[in-house]
Amino acid sequence: MSGPGATRASAKHRSAERWQIDQPPGEVLDRAIALRDDWLGRALCTLPADRPAAEAAITELYRLVGQRAPRFVWVDSPGAAADAGLIPKMSLPQDWTAPGQSTVWPLAARLATLASTLRHTLDECFRRRLPRWPLGSFLGWQAVLTLPPRESLREGASLSEILQVTVRDTLRGTVHESLGRPQRVLLNRPAMAWYGLHEAHWVAEHDILRTLSRSRIGAATGAQLDLWIALARSCGWWWPDEDVCVVSERPAAVHAEPVPGSAHGELRLHSGKGRAIRYADGWGPCSWHGTLVPSWVIEEPTVERILAEPNAEVRRCAIERIGWDVYIDRAGLRLVSTAPDPGNPGCLLRLYDLPFQSLGSRARVLLAVNGSVERDGTRRRYGLSVPADLDDPVAAAGWSYGLTRDQYARLLRRT
Amino acid sequence: MTTTTVTLADLTRRTGLDVLDHLEQEMAIPVIDGLQAQGDLIVVPLDLARDMSAARTARWRPVPAAGVELLRGAAGGNPHTLVADPGTCRWTTDVIDPEALAIGVLETRAVAYLIHPEHGGTGIAPGAYAVRRQRERATQRPGRSRLSGGDRLVAD
Repeated sequence: MSGPGATRASAKHRSAERWQIDQPPGEVLDRAIALRDDWLGRALCTLPADRPAAEAAITELYRLVGQRAPRFVWVDSPGAAADAGLIPKMSLPQDWTAPGQSTVWPLAARLATLASTLRHTLDECFRRRLPRWPLGSFLGWQAVLTLPPRESLREGASLSEILQVTVRDTLRGTVHESLGRPQRVLLNRPAMAWYGLHEAHWVAEHDILRTLSRSRIGAATGAQLDLWIALARSCGWWWPDEDVCVVSERPAAVHAEPVPGSAHGELRLHSGKGRAIRYADGWGPCSWHGTLVPSWVIEEPTVERILAEPNAEVRRCAIERIGWDVYIDRAGLRLVSTAPDPGNPGCLLRLYDLPFQSLGSRARVLLAVNGSVERDGTRRRYGLSVPADLDDPVAAAGWSYGLTRDQYARLLRRT
Repeated sequence: MTTTTVTLADLTRRTGLDVLDHLEQEMAIPVIDGLQAQGDLIVVPLDLARDMSAARTARWRPVPAAGVELLRGAAGGNPHTLVADPGTCRWTTDVIDPEALAIGVLETRAVAYLIHPEHGGTGIAPGAYAVRRQRERATQRPGRSRLSGGDRLVAD
């Protein structure tokens, strides 16, 4: 074979062989998903930190950027680090043009360069071995997002395409976004922080690809990846400074639920009882089905607080927390109209005005009754926000399913 | 499955799906020839809403005895599952819906059933139907949703 075309073709062929001949793609996918779930479990870990392991890994990272071992200060939570004034301010170098590893850069910046170089090296390494997305497989991106991964594979999506969605995006969405972001918002301290177990998204992706592709990555690269893996398995957030490194314990409790409709194992924070992430000192964010909310929404929701709350999303969460029917009773909402619920004999649809603005216009809420009974024999009532220009409860119920009033009036049965 | 004598207990036996034990197990499941709702899903006969249809190039899948999971609830554990006798019902998610609420279209030659752990079971008479999700007006700015006007999907 000669010429660039032939070389490319044979490289592509080898890349396909790597996946298909000694391991069927379905098996690779199953292993990837098992490894992903294992890593998600580590990101949710609530065991006390493994302090010796964390300190050893951080010390080695310091050594790699030419710094001697720091003194370690352990705190219960990121909030505790902030309260104690332990989070170092970002300092800037004298010479912006210096190479990334030059000691004119502060330690935190050198560590960041080290990590980003590692990630770049690993990305390049695995990209050569995995067929690169997009390959324009016939299935399409939307389908890979919605179908269970094994089904996408059967329907003709490429393995790498599915891995991006079901491994990389799930890890990033769950760990970096769902777990990490609410804590970053709550902490509100711009600083060069590392996230320990909440760093698991990129660490895990590379760990999984290394395991599955049996890629030969350089010894130094592999050893450094192992350091980040050790941190993701041993401690919480940490803030490096020249002589002192502040490290947080892991959370004491984490409450998460599957993201509705996710075929890819994504999780989001949710707790109706207290902090969705709670560290030993009580610090942590509250979350209602994945929405970051102030703690009063979960701990002390009242009609007065809901009326005073300017953020519509926070209001909705607080109303859901106390229940739409309770809220409507206590808040004394103005009833616009009622109508029998088609297909739900003996039950009424009730349309109310909400006392606050929604998206710049007055919103209304439709209070409906479930078609099926709860365990205690009652039927659950639930509220749905509807456009404010609807005056007829049947039209409002129809709108919620994209139907006209007359179409919805023909509902024969609701369960 | 025959059209008259199927109970919730029959359905759970045949599919291996469970429903909550307080639901009436031995009552015959009504078969509905028209518009019906199960929680946050609605089954719309295609001749009632002519703006919806399966895509011309739709990829149809036969509905197996174990059923097809149409939608899973917010807690992750409460799916709406479509079940039918093998060879009688097919399902596609390639659906045209101007309101972007439909999750698919089913075509069934015999009675098909929609089963849910909390809502129980309901029969769908032979015919062609779109299955739509429920929406509500969002009170937050819209995200990357395909829905218009800042609406969001209801998940019960």
